[in-house]
Amino acid sequence: MEVGRVIVCALAVFVALFSERFVVLASFSQSMDSDFTFTLPAGRKECFFQTMKKDASLEIEYQVLDGAGLDVDFLISSPSGQVLFSDYHKSDGVHTVETVDGDYMFCFDNTFSTVSEKLIFFELILDNMEIEEEQDDWKEYVQGTDILDMKLEDIMDTINNVKARLGKSVHIQTVLRAFEARDRNIQESNFDRVNFWSITNMVVMMVISGIQVYLVRSLFEDKRKVRT
Amino acid sequence: MMLAYPAAGVLLILAWIYPSHALYFHIGETEKKCFIEEIPDETMVIGKYRTQLWDKVTSSFLAATPGLGMHVEIKDPDTKIILSRQYGSDGRFTFTSHTPGEHQICLHSNSTKMALFAGGKLRVHLDIQVGEHTNNYPEIAAKDKLTELQLRARQLLDQVEQIQKEQNYQRYREERFRMTSESTNQRVLWWSIAQTLILIVTGIWQMKHLKSFFEAKKLV
Repeated sequence: MEVGRVIVCALAVFVALFSERFVVLASFSQSMDSDFTFTLPAGRKECFFQTMKKDASLEIEYQVLDGAGLDVDFLISSPSGQVLFSDYHKSDGVHTVETVDGDYMFCFDNTFSTVSEKLIFFELILDNMEIEEEQDDWKEYVQGTDILDMKLEDIMDTINNVKARLGKSVHIQTVLRAFEARDRNIQESNFDRVNFWSITNMVVMMVISGIQVYLVRSLFEDKRKVRT
Repeated sequence: MMLAYPAAGVLLILAWIYPSHALYFHIGETEKKCFIEEIPDETMVIGKYRTQLWDKVTSSFLAATPGLGMHVEIKDPDTKIILSRQYGSDGRFTFTSHTPGEHQICLHSNSTKMALFAGGKLRVHLDIQVGEHTNNYPEIAAKDKLTELQLRARQLLDQVEQIQKEQNYQRYREERFRMTSESTNQRVLWWSIAQTLILIVTGIWQMKHLKSFFEAKKLV
């Protein structure tokens, strides 16, 4: 046992020194949902890829948060290159795909716009992709046992239920956050526009009234010269 | 159980792991890709990335490219740079937000040799985790010596805490949003009234001035 401990400690030190060289595919993070917000410049098309397994499901939800017109073209294609969904000039959308093995590509296209860059938020929700590992990891590293009247399985079921619901809450929060960000950006651009055009309007009015008066006066000046 | 602690230690080290099922995208040599994360304050964010280079010889993506690094730059909501560092071809960066708002994470490759990129793009696998997703539960179980039930309860507590933080931040954002809306509405009202008054006053002044001008010229 002592030798075993020493070996494991030595291994830990060894791994700590050379951790960059190791690639571990198992026991990745708990969550398989990811969301990203990025800026899509004018006239550009940006593509992202996601590796999927067979019989899993991929749900993608996107929203345009900022940028004149608040619309973008969207495209999903399967690993074989076939276009599954294609949206034209939409400001938000959600698509679910039952997947096969391979890399799915989805693209956001802003080539129709020459001046305005778009702020795009998208969220990927993956289902049925190796969720079993999570349980096994935790079991190996907990210590002690629980002594209770209830069966542990019932408690675990309840806890899993609560966890799933909380996960949904987080998901809804993310969606609400994206909506709110979009509304806020709309309002802020309204605010800037109102300020700018009001001041422009006032300046233009004053200038025009001054010009009108000057023009009319100059008409009469010439006539007077002609008379005398 | 004596082995549990060092074994957990090993897993701890191996927790510096790479995204295996994460999203990937292609990046050009001088291209800069930026992502925005809107987060409440005191929230930890961990980003992991892995790069692969297109190899014309084998017509595939190589596993890892030594010597090719990525430069990571992170700006806080006030556009102040809070992290600006170079990492290797596989890397992990982490930061904690001190002000709530939109943080910008930018990545670009530091490649100066054109040969590395010739004919191809760089494939970058990226995974960004925010808030309670950054917690390493096997590590917490080992450190606090938790049973399975306690660990699960702790995880639920962390999740709820993150939701609560996000809700507080949402309230603060909604308040700012409401202030902007009300200010816009007020300004629209006052500008319209002011413009109408200016129009009327200018019209009256014009008529009076012209009338006195014509009278002076003995036309009226």
